[in-house]
Amino acid sequence: MSRENDRQPPVCASPIDAAVLADYWLATLEGADEEAVEEHLLACDGCGARLREVIALADGIRNVAREGSLRMIVSDEFLKQAADEGLRVCQYAPPAGGSVECTVTADDDLLIGRLAADLSGAKRVDLCFCDEAGVEQFRLPDIPVHSGASSVVYQESITLLKAAPSTKFIARLVAFDESSRERLLGEYTFNHTRTLPG
Amino acid sequence: MLIVDLSDAELVGRIGSGSNRDAEAELYRRMAPRVRLYGLRHLRNEQAADDLAQQVLLTTLEALRADRLREPEKLASFVLGTCRMTVLNLRRGDQRKERLLAQFGADIRTSVQPAMPRLDHEKLARCLTNLKERERSVVVMTFYDEQTGADVARFLGVSQANVRVIRHRAIHQLRKCMGVAA
Repeated sequence: MSRENDRQPPVCASPIDAAVLADYWLATLEGADEEAVEEHLLACDGCGARLREVIALADGIRNVAREGSLRMIVSDEFLKQAADEGLRVCQYAPPAGGSVECTVTADDDLLIGRLAADLSGAKRVDLCFCDEAGVEQFRLPDIPVHSGASSVVYQESITLLKAAPSTKFIARLVAFDESSRERLLGEYTFNHTRTLPG
Repeated sequence: MLIVDLSDAELVGRIGSGSNRDAEAELYRRMAPRVRLYGLRHLRNEQAADDLAQQVLLTTLEALRADRLREPEKLASFVLGTCRMTVLNLRRGDQRKERLLAQFGADIRTSVQPAMPRLDHEKLARCLTNLKERERSVVVMTFYDEQTGADVARFLGVSQANVRVIRHRAIHQLRKCMGVAA
């Protein structure tokens, strides 16, 4: 992070941790803790500068999330927020063991795969990505899933897909039981057709 | 001694002892950015935060000129209390702003606010990619989805305390990855 046109703030003798400042920014501190942080901030420019860094980080995270380039597990609230912001969400939901024809257009902002699976009893779930021959290329280990959920909603990087040629890739959800044995929860084939010129 | 090196209590003393425009200017330069941060946190709006800073500093100057601050070393506490009252009044649609601006508006100087740090967007995207899945989900759910700790905890199937630990770890890692100290 860089700062322009201002003096370096003085060093604080008892600086507030950036994560606590994030709690303050998120309004999650209890009354007395919040009061202590505010008293400190009204007297300390060093911690004020750190709070500005935290605010900039929060804004930056929002901007990165908005551009759809992160490959990650998302929640339905994420999709709702995106829709509220006017983002165009392209969503595919192949059945377990099935396939889906998919593409992205220049107007799409986010690309979502909704992978149906029985997640009950899974202690840990990984999302693996394989080439068309079924050979694993990489995986997202220990993804956040709710044991009561009936699907995993994952965001593919739309930036990558917009640049990719027509291709087929396979997503696999695998669970681990208590003896760390891997068990296939579902396999999903995406037949991506490039429709963008270039 | 330069005026910027004066303690809060010394500044209060100079303002209370008579018209001292340099001391008042220094008070404004020192306190306005801090009050503005308070305003950003509580009002979530830059314009409203600017307005708050102006109103709070006007009220503070009014009190200091009238020598109403009994413990000058507690200037920060006085300003914090004024912030709270002003936010309450703003929410009640109080008209004090107009009255104070009419009385002191000409004396208020425009202060240069510290610039918000600029982030390297591409670097932040890489740093987010390097987080563990749960950490990335927690920060995105927190800062983009604007979900509460309880909602995130429900989604992840963990406790709220655990969400806080994950969020703290993620923030430290992001800051380290971005090249700033924790």
